[in-house]
Amino acid sequence: MKMKRNLFNAIIAIGCLMFSSCEQDLPSYLSYSYTYSGVDADGGSWKPVLISSGAEIQIDAPADVNSAAYKEEISAAKTAIKNMTDAQRQNVTYWTNNPANRWNEIALELIAKYNLIPGPNADGTYTLPNAATPEGPPAFPFAHPPYAVRALAYLSVAQFDGLIAAWHYKYLYKRTAAYKNDNEIKFAYNDNDIPAYPSDAAVIANVSKDVLSVMFPLEKTYLERRAQEHLESILLAGGNVTSDIEAGKKIGSYVATKALARASTDGMRSAQTPKPVSDSIKTKAFERFGWAWDNLEIPARPVGLTPMFGKVKLWNVPNVEATRPIPPPAIGSEELKKDIEILKDYAANVTNERRRIANYWQDGLGTYTPPGHWNRFAKEFIIQYALNPLRTVRTYAYLNMSMMDGAISCWDTKYYYHFPRPINLIPGFKTIAGTPNFPAYTSGHSVFSSSGAEILAYVFPNEATKVRDWAKEAAISRVYGGIHWTFDATVGTEQGKAVASYTLAVARNDGAK
Amino acid sequence: MFTNTIIDQKHNTRNQRMKICFTDLGLRFSLFSTIFVCFFVQIQAQTPNDANMMDKREACLLLAYTHGSFDQYWEGSKLRENQTIATVQRQTILGMAAIGVIDKLNLYVGLPYVKAESSEVTGGHLAGVSGLQDVLVGLKYQLINAQSSTGTFSLFPSITFSTPVSNYLSDYQPYSLGLGTSEINWRLMAHYKLNKGIYTTIGAVHVWRGYTEAERDYYYNNGSFYTATMDVPSAWNFEALVGSWLFKNKLRLEVNYSSLRSISGDDIRAYNAPQPTNKVHMDRVGAFGQYYFNPEGGFGIVASYNTIFQGRNAPKMTSLNLGITYQFGY
Repeated sequence: MKMKRNLFNAIIAIGCLMFSSCEQDLPSYLSYSYTYSGVDADGGSWKPVLISSGAEIQIDAPADVNSAAYKEEISAAKTAIKNMTDAQRQNVTYWTNNPANRWNEIALELIAKYNLIPGPNADGTYTLPNAATPEGPPAFPFAHPPYAVRALAYLSVAQFDGLIAAWHYKYLYKRTAAYKNDNEIKFAYNDNDIPAYPSDAAVIANVSKDVLSVMFPLEKTYLERRAQEHLESILLAGGNVTSDIEAGKKIGSYVATKALARASTDGMRSAQTPKPVSDSIKTKAFERFGWAWDNLEIPARPVGLTPMFGKVKLWNVPNVEATRPIPPPAIGSEELKKDIEILKDYAANVTNERRRIANYWQDGLGTYTPPGHWNRFAKEFIIQYALNPLRTVRTYAYLNMSMMDGAISCWDTKYYYHFPRPINLIPGFKTIAGTPNFPAYTSGHSVFSSSGAEILAYVFPNEATKVRDWAKEAAISRVYGGIHWTFDATVGTEQGKAVASYTLAVARNDGAK
Repeated sequence: MFTNTIIDQKHNTRNQRMKICFTDLGLRFSLFSTIFVCFFVQIQAQTPNDANMMDKREACLLLAYTHGSFDQYWEGSKLRENQTIATVQRQTILGMAAIGVIDKLNLYVGLPYVKAESSEVTGGHLAGVSGLQDVLVGLKYQLINAQSSTGTFSLFPSITFSTPVSNYLSDYQPYSLGLGTSEINWRLMAHYKLNKGIYTTIGAVHVWRGYTEAERDYYYNNGSFYTATMDVPSAWNFEALVGSWLFKNKLRLEVNYSSLRSISGDDIRAYNAPQPTNKVHMDRVGAFGQYYFNPEGGFGIVASYNTIFQGRNAPKMTSLNLGITYQFGY
């Protein structure tokens, strides 16, 4: 297979030699265009996460479509559409009729941009990113997996609540789309019967910009520009007039404020502890079990990654002990000895398949992290199954709440048990993946993946087998990489499922059918 | 690392003929010709980047060993160290053949074996890699060979093609065996030699590089890329050297300079691993020597030393090369 590809590359290269240019178009986002599989006319009655109901936000009744005020808005929209530049036309195509996917991509890109671990200073100390002085160096944030999944959870939950509110007023007021009220307006996307007021796309633009601007403070200007570009495209697409968009923006700002209020007091601020707190957590674990994990980097990092992330406020799991697994095999036990042999065998025999799996799921520094990977899968299924905007953000919201609860549960377990990594227990051991700066048990990849996979299996039952297999492969990939024990992976997978069961109990009762 | 090249040289002043096999260039310019985009150097060869030609029905074989190492690298333009990788060493064994096909046209074929690893236990505990890298095939043509009373001017166009022969992972830097992409080097080289034996060569190379496949299907390159395919930047390479023949043309010594400039690409991000998409710039100086036991053919030895003194997204690597050559008629 590989040889074939090499041969193929060789042929391409020779072709380039003769014809000078062979540039490939490498995708930086997913192109799509589709008709929604349903409209969810009852969506306004679904149970939101942070607001009491879709009616909580006050949105006034819009002007009638026969009113002079509305006709003036239609006329302004027509003028804008008539004067559309090529760049604006491209933006309309880019943002699509389901722009939550675009904002999810923007979030993943920012995660990848900021997922850089601070390096040591010249004197061997480490400086951590500081939200108070985000410019750094190092820049704030370090978008590691717990940070990433938290950012995604607040983004998606706020989007979900915002669209429930939008749906509530859409079907309360039932003002039809601009292109249905003036046949000179051509809709840029596939036709649908969802009422236009308030604009769901404007909700998404404002809520996403506001939440991400707090999560990535150095990107405020960039996000403002993207939001303006998005809002402009909504009018130019022909579905909405300005008052639709303004009402949507109002909802967006409201739910973003709610989400950010929760975020500001959820315990994340204390997750990265000072050294004395970190040391006492380690000492407690040592007294409890007789072992503790150590960072082996040179120079050693004084504190592991977010030792108190396990104390961050959960979304749906009642308390963190509810999903804390049994202790790992004791050091010196037969079970651990067996695992050491397995790890040594994998390290000595790196097969193509194991190497591929270890790398495919690695999602390490500089990437969108494992939660980002599962958001990408979600997006692809959302498009494949043609979900409408409300179903889309519902999917992201439960996915990311489940994975954030998974991260909290996993981090609680990691620092409660403080179990060493393979490089800590096997002398001279070498790995093909980088060993992260936190204890081994349980594997973050395993918990993220199964807590996410269970949500995707629920939303897309036809894909259940596939996504559960993926989660298992993501879990074992860390063992192939040499950085996790097999029980980190298997127990972590079960832990993720337990976490997801709480999320699913909420999802099944939110009113969506 | 080096590339090598082969060569043979006609020393046709005063009816004295001398052939030189595998001379250096390979050794000389090796890195560059090779690429290295980041941290590793491919041995690729470039080719025939020497101002020497094998005659028709003559061939030369080279077997060479290179040891290169670095404990600092440029992250963007900032020189740094990194205890996660500590000192990285790359050892290469290269087998190569130069064949005189017809007069004025030489064919080159080469294949390197590379081993890359951190030379001591590091903060990263990352495993090294080894294996066959890229096969190289090249052609060199002597376009001009003009003699005057003081010396000889020659002009050589050449082209080399290389492509991976094993499934090594290019996205495993700094240990990757190579860039994992096909490469075509278009070279033009001008050579002027005084009858006294002193000579100079300058060369320019356009290094076309294609795409490489990672084993992940998302990466960041000043933005998201949802694909396993990475665009490896093409580059320009300039070379200049001054040398002289000594001891009745049995020995020659050279000093050389070479520079590589990627045409596009991104910088290594703070304390992050390099990747094949990086923009790599390098400036290197070196010395080269070749000794031929018998100017009419048979065994010879080549040795070179070079060091990268300035760079961008490049290792501050120093390399030592040693090789034996054997030249024969067929």
